[in-house]
Amino acid sequence: MKDIFTDLYNKVLGFFRQTDKKEDNAKDIACNRLRVVLMQDRTNLTPELMEKMRQELIDLLSKYVEMDKEALELNFEQEGNQMALMLSIPVLRAKDEAEIERELAKEQAEKESREAENSGEKSEESEDAVQDNGVIEIVEETPTGEIVSTEETVTECIEIVEPENEKEKVE
Amino acid sequence: MACTITNPSVSDEKDKKGETMSGRVIVITSGKGGVGKTTTNANIGTALARAGKKVVMIDTDLGLRNLDLLLGLENRIVYTIVDVVEERCKLKQALVKDKKNPNLCLLAAAQTRDKTAVTEEQLKNICEELKKDFDFILVDCPAGIEQGFQNAVAGASEAIVVTTPEMSAVRDADRIIGLLEAREEIKSYKLLLNRVRPNLIKSNDMMSVDDVVEILSAQLIGIIPEDTGIITSTNKGEPIVNDEKSLAGQAYKNVAKRIMGEEVPFLNLEEDNGVVAKVKRFFSHLIGKEQ
Repeated sequence: MKDIFTDLYNKVLGFFRQTDKKEDNAKDIACNRLRVVLMQDRTNLTPELMEKMRQELIDLLSKYVEMDKEALELNFEQEGNQMALMLSIPVLRAKDEAEIERELAKEQAEKESREAENSGEKSEESEDAVQDNGVIEIVEETPTGEIVSTEETVTECIEIVEPENEKEKVE
Repeated sequence: MACTITNPSVSDEKDKKGETMSGRVIVITSGKGGVGKTTTNANIGTALARAGKKVVMIDTDLGLRNLDLLLGLENRIVYTIVDVVEERCKLKQALVKDKKNPNLCLLAAAQTRDKTAVTEEQLKNICEELKKDFDFILVDCPAGIEQGFQNAVAGASEAIVVTTPEMSAVRDADRIIGLLEAREEIKSYKLLLNRVRPNLIKSNDMMSVDDVVEILSAQLIGIIPEDTGIITSTNKGEPIVNDEKSLAGQAYKNVAKRIMGEEVPFLNLEEDNGVVAKVKRFFSHLIGKEQ
């Protein structure tokens, strides 16, 4: 008898729940969470590699913006049917053009001096790889797929994140 | 002889019996504990034996043996798999015959030893030896992905991955599937979804069968509804396939048929969920009890 009542209860409840957003029910939440966690399980991206990727992105992006490095988040998330690598950067302040140019010049100078010093080809190579990797990951996995150039990617990410960050602060 | 006409698989078996038999070794595994590996093993084994196949079940969960309990054979065990490996007895001496079905045997695990007492190679040899005399060798795998799992899988060429529509069980099943795919000797694996609750699926509170199949992208071999009868059947030491009225028992019998190559449609659990059907089942259950 108990079964009959729980069934009825579920039906009544289900009727009202239909008006809810589709993703609100436990089943869809479970499916989405599972897809994400299985993707992480299946890839070879160990926590160490994720941390390395995070660090490299910080190094890259801090040339252009001043950010809260501790609060930067890098996670896989489900966006509809697509897996996205979401980068959330709490921006403290966007650097102005002069600062960015100074930063880039400094980096260029460092690179040249290193090249000149010894056969530092290896370090230069790895640094290039670092930059490339960071950018490619974002461009590939951003669901919008509209992003073309490196600089746009960076600014777009920031734009997305800024309002969120403000919300958090208000809360 | 009527059998041979209606059921082609029986005639196949008879052909094989003329020569030395070459049984199929199927490992039943899950990764996560408590999803129903041993119950599945006991029921599929019993169902296959009831269909006339010669079946042996190997419990490889050394130190935590339970298959004997589910079959009600706990008082009949003299020798275990470790005794066979350490040559205290012959393999045939260690096989415990089922109470009801002479086609069904159990090779029990040792309760006082750990997973290191038997090696992969030894298990492989035991399976090879049993293949000669049995149609099916069902290997009950311990939970986890350590040596116990590796041992259990060693002799098998097919696998059944048991999972439930819960996140942790599905995740572990995915891990197990990855490990099975990495092992060359496993030629095929199939998914058995246990403890399905149509009520919860209907109200969108539980992942549906399709969801799990899609997420794991594996082939399905059975859907077993949650059934309180499993608890009583375990308590009695009597597999639920022997209960003709049980829905879970019917589902396990269907799995056995699919293993034997028959095409059986999956039970429609939704249908059974209507209030009218519930009332009907409730009363038929009452009447059944009184008889």
